[in-house]
Amino acid sequence: MLTTVAAAPLFTAGRQESRISSSILGCRPWPLPWDVMTQPPETAETVEDRTARFERDALVYIDQLYSAAMRMTRNPHDAEDLVQETYAKAFAAFHQFKEGTNLKAWLYRILTNAYINSYRKKQRQPIQDSSEQIEDWQLARAETHTSSGLKSAEVQALERLPDSDVKAALQQIPEDFRLAVYLADVEGFAYKEIAEIMETPVGTVMSRLHRGRGQLRTLLADYARERGLVRDRVAPEEVTSP
Amino acid sequence: MSCGKHHDVDCQDVLRRVHLFIDHELADADYHQIKAHLDECAPCLHSVDMERLIKALVARSCTEQAPVELRQRVMFEIRQVSFDVSHRTLDLD
Repeated sequence: MLTTVAAAPLFTAGRQESRISSSILGCRPWPLPWDVMTQPPETAETVEDRTARFERDALVYIDQLYSAAMRMTRNPHDAEDLVQETYAKAFAAFHQFKEGTNLKAWLYRILTNAYINSYRKKQRQPIQDSSEQIEDWQLARAETHTSSGLKSAEVQALERLPDSDVKAALQQIPEDFRLAVYLADVEGFAYKEIAEIMETPVGTVMSRLHRGRGQLRTLLADYARERGLVRDRVAPEEVTSP
Repeated sequence: MSCGKHHDVDCQDVLRRVHLFIDHELADADYHQIKAHLDECAPCLHSVDMERLIKALVARSCTEQAPVELRQRVMFEIRQVSFDVSHRTLDLD
């Protein structure tokens, strides 16, 4: 049981991946897009040590990954499956993860990849078109102080919105926007990290955040009015961003 | 659009970078430039407060706890794979 990873030819990356693929992930080949995965392990480590290290370092993120999976799949059953798949894939590739680099971002990258490549495909859900080709034009529009459509006192009303309203609003915005907003606001990832997780340029992350938050703002203002937290309805052209 | 008063940095420029500002993605010089603008421009400050509130609302509302069974299932699966891999290695020795 103390055989080292480096000494056993079985543990070359390709062999191990295919073995784990066939046992728990099905026979689907899985690309590892994270650049650190291609780096060889610096020191030999037993399977037991690696398992203990994975349980200690990676499993602490299970609540966070589950929360993110809930925002992606929108239901607990699929979120659980997605998180389980994420951990299986992460463990299969963990010997290639470079210690000291960002483990949380690495796990999120695998989660996002698993969601896009297997879950969404399995569900036969078309990729939501967030029409990014018109983003630049939209971003170039003049920003105005009134674009929120809410006065100071009304902003305070938003604070009293229940969590369920915020989640419902998030579910209504396009998937790419939702994920960018989630990664920035809930996880506090830097734009560069979000760009790596979502495999997209930083500029696209910025426009997704900009548009996603803008749509959230409008939706939350609507919820606040529906709940009677805000009395006066402002003119529609002030509420909706052009 | 501007609030009508003169500022070193234009209101429109501040509003365009409001997300970079609240996400701490600006270089120090740019950050302080916008901060100085906010000290003298109530409408821009209001917009920044609004964006910060939306950010805080999302952060507050999206924390969930993974079911205990999920945690157990993941642990079991990892240990199963680990055991299988160890076993295979010993068989080859």
